[in-house]
Parts: sequence; structure tokens; C-alpha cells
Amino acid sequence: MSIITTGYPKTGWRRAKAAGFRVFTWGSLLFVVGPALWLIIGVVVRAVPNWRWNVLTTMSQGTSGGLANAIVGTAVLMLGVLVIAGTVGVLTGIHLSEFAVSRRGRASGATMRIAVDVLSGFPSIVLGYVGYVALCVGLHWGFSLLPALIILSMMVVPYIAKSTESALRQVPTNYREGAEALGMSTGYALRKVVVKSALPGIVTGLLIALSIAGGETAPLLYTAGVTNNLPTWSILHHPIAYLTYYVWTDWNQPSAEAHIVSFDASLILVVMVLVLLIVARVIVARTQRHAEGAR
Amino acid sequence: MEEVVRRDVDSNRIASLLTELDPDANRPANVIETNGLNLHFGPKAILNGVNMTFARGTITALIGPTGSGKSTFLRTINRMNDRVSGFRHEGDVLLDGQSIWAPSQDLLAIRRRVGMLFQRPNPFPMSIKDNVVAGVKAHGIAKGKQLDVVAEIRLREVGLWDAVKDRLNESPYRLSGGQQQLLCLARALAVGPEVLLLDEPTSALDPLSTESVENLMRTLTPALTLIVVTHNLGQARRVSDNTMFFYEGRLVEHGPTSQVFEHARETDTARYVNGLMG
Repeated sequence: MSIITTGYPKTGWRRAKAAGFRVFTWGSLLFVVGPALWLIIGVVVRAVPNWRWNVLTTMSQGTSGGLANAIVGTAVLMLGVLVIAGTVGVLTGIHLSEFAVSRRGRASGATMRIAVDVLSGFPSIVLGYVGYVALCVGLHWGFSLLPALIILSMMVVPYIAKSTESALRQVPTNYREGAEALGMSTGYALRKVVVKSALPGIVTGLLIALSIAGGETAPLLYTAGVTNNLPTWSILHHPIAYLTYYVWTDWNQPSAEAHIVSFDASLILVVMVLVLLIVARVIVARTQRHAEGAR
Repeated sequence: MEEVVRRDVDSNRIASLLTELDPDANRPANVIETNGLNLHFGPKAILNGVNMTFARGTITALIGPTGSGKSTFLRTINRMNDRVSGFRHEGDVLLDGQSIWAPSQDLLAIRRRVGMLFQRPNPFPMSIKDNVVAGVKAHGIAKGKQLDVVAEIRLREVGLWDAVKDRLNESPYRLSGGQQQLLCLARALAVGPEVLLLDEPTSALDPLSTESVENLMRTLTPALTLIVVTHNLGQARRVSDNTMFFYEGRLVEHGPTSQVFEHARETDTARYVNGLMG
């Protein structure tokens, strides 16, 4: 009896610790959800009262007019980043998790990993300036789509590569062994079994990448330029408009009209990112119908 | 009289046709043979000097304490160890009389001929039907509507059809552990292997599922040759024709199961099968 009473003297202390921990986790949740809501509500409240539907269909004229050129421009940039950075990033992640593990492949993996870390640590404005000097001026490409895509892709490849690598590493050995024992080739097993079950992680990486591509301003100021026209089919020598340019530039203008355009651009960007999130969720949910966790 | 002659002719023809159709007729009697097989991981010797033949259409049980080398031996037969770093082998494993490491051998074809069932059920994250035909698709054996037929035949073969026929497009992880293991067996059978390696196939299953897997194993012979690693001595006794006892990296004894269990030549074998050594 005495053992029990003296053995558990700290129930009160453990309860206090548990309660304290819960306060911290809820606090962290508020810290994340609060600013997100604040930003969205702030943008909606300022943009909606002055909303005109024709910003979606008309071109900008300097600091006034519509945003059709910028909407299409941002969409083109996102799509380009999805193709370029998506391909390079996912392949990098596959190399790091699947091929850089053998004794021979380890050196390439180490080199690649350092490069990825270095790249992800670079300030975006530095990358933008490098792009301006090396591509726009050095190669005489001018402000245009290709240098913008290259610089944006360099920025986001690390996110995609890392999330792809860690998602692939979490695929159960069971699946790989099962595929191997059935006589599937490495590539076939990767495509049909392994990548499929790593898809949620890979898609998350792509989403972050696309959000960054849509939300960046600094590197684009140096590489994309800006224009009142819709993007053309030529990827060189033709500047391209994007939403964040108007968010930033028009807010710094004195006129109230420019401020309205600035908030319209913000709202459109927020909506685009939200739509992207929803689409990605739907895709993931559809492919993970048969996943182990989705009982 | 005439009738009798005609019957004679027919039965001859049938006999020759059967021989012609029997895929095993022109193959060696021993589907797998190991010659002086030594296995190492790095500097560590796992298994020494295994000389063994596996007769076609039999069930062989591999028994022995943990770490005795029996699982490594099993995984060598379909070359699953090849990619494990540090794995080395001396001696040879013959599949239908040909070395599995011969340069002319196609690794993927070997794996198709030598299937494997694992300790833990490992269905892929795809629908039940897609699981059954995963290997069939990979090897391009069938496609389109044929896949439905293959899926049904194999699910019937393992006795799972009635349980899953209405949910072929659902997740395999909603099935019980035993059903998942049967699904994996159907998947392994679907590519038409000659040999099936089973690595403690029922150790994660309840007694009833274990029984259904064991019953199935008996129906799979003599069309297939089964090699089973098991820690369940009762199971080895119930299902196998021959038993191999591994201990400390050696194949201590092998022979017909009843002999190994009842009249073991070696004291280690007798001690192990009588539960005096674990």
C-alpha cells in the first residue's frame, strides 16, 4: 500500500505538463492559422468592395485598367515551372532516393544533395539578378519568359526534390520487394507501385513550388520585365506580365485607382492558389483510394 | 475387335498428346539444384556448402533457428539477395539445369518462373483486381478484357473469389490479413511460376487463415514446386514432403519429412524438432 502512495506522487505534475503541452500545440495552431486567415480576410475585405469583373478580361494600361495580361502571364509561368522544375525536381528526388544509395551512386547523391541545399539557401533576389546578368543581358535574351522560367525553376527545384526524396523513402520496403519478386523491372516498379504510393508527398512539393512561382516578385522583376499585352508564343525577347508585379508596383502608386488594382491582383492570386490546392487534393484523394492508410 | 483397336489408337494418341502438352515433360526431374553453395554478407559467412536437389512438384520445408541461414538460402533462389550490398556467393543454383547467374539468364524471367510469398502480406496500393494482375501486366502476358478473366481464375484458385467478387475495385487493405495473404498468393500464381518460395507465409496469420493457406499449398502441387521457410514445426510436418534442417550456417540434415521428424540422424536435428532447442 505504501509503495503505491509513494510511487505515484507526481500525478498532479504530469497533468500540468500534459495541459501545458496542449496549450503550446494549440498556440502553434493559432500562430499558423491566424496569419493565414488575417491575410485572406484582409485581401478580400479590401478587394471585394471595389471589384469589377472586367479586370479579368481587359488588359492593364500602366497602373490602371484590367489584369487579364497578368493573370495569363502568371498562369503561363506556373505551368512552365510545373513542367521544367517538376520534371527536374521529381527526377532529382528519384535519383537521390533510388539510385544514390548503392555504393557506386553515393558520391553522385552527396554532390547532388549539397547542390540542392545550396540552391535552396539562395536569396531569390540574388538568383534574379544572376538571371538578369547572365541570361537577359549576357545571352541577349532580354526580359522574357525563358529566363524567368529558368530562374524560378532553379528556386523551386530544391523543394520538389526534397519532398520527392522523402516521400519515396517512406514507401514501405514491402512494396518494393513484392514488385521485385514478381519480376517487375526497376523502372516499371517505380512507375506502377512506388511513385504512386509516394504521390501525396510529391504533389505537396509541387504545390509549394507552384505557390512560390506564383507568389515571387523579386526574381521576376529582373527577368520577366512587364508588359500591357498578353503573353506571346515567343519565349525570348518578349516581356511577360505577372500578378505580383501589379500587387507591388500599383500599391506604391499615389492614386486610389492603382491601389484597387493592387488588391484585385492579390485577390486573384489568392484564389488561384486556393484552386490549385483544391485540385491537388482531389487528384491525391483519387489516386490514394487504395492506399494502406485510406481504409 | 475393331472397336478395341480403335480405342487403343485413341488412348495412344491421348497419351502422346498429354506428354506433348505437359510443360514439365521435357524438363529435368529436379527443378532446382544447388551445388556447393556458399553465401556471404561481407566478411560474414551465412551458409556453407549446400548441396541439395528439389524434385519437381514437391513441397520442401526449410526449418531451423533464427539466423541459421534458411531465409537467406530461400532469397538466393530468386536472386533477391543480388542487390543486397556485400552479398557474395560461391557454387551454383541451377533452375531447370541452368545456372540462375548465367549471363544468358534474364533476371526478370527468373523471377517470373520462381515466385515468392512474403511473411507479411504485401498487397500493392491499387485495387484488388489490379493487384492480382499486377505481374501479368508487367510481363505483358495478358491485356484488356483478358485481365478480368485472369483475375477471376486466380482468385477462384485461392478461394477468395466469393469474398471479393463484388469489390474488385476496392482497396485490398480492407481485407483481413489472411485474405490479403491469399491475394498476394493469387498475384504470385498469376504469372504462372514453376516454383514458389514462401518465407514464413503464415506467421502473421490467425489459425484459420493458416489452415486455408496450408490447404492451398497442397492443391498447388504437383503443378508447382514449393519451398517453404517456416518456424512452425507442425506446419512443416503437415504440408511438406521433404524437410531441410539448417543450423548455424549449415544444412545439417535433409530427407523425407517423416524421417527427419521421427528418425533424425543428427542429434541437433532431433533436439530441434523435439523442441529442445529453439
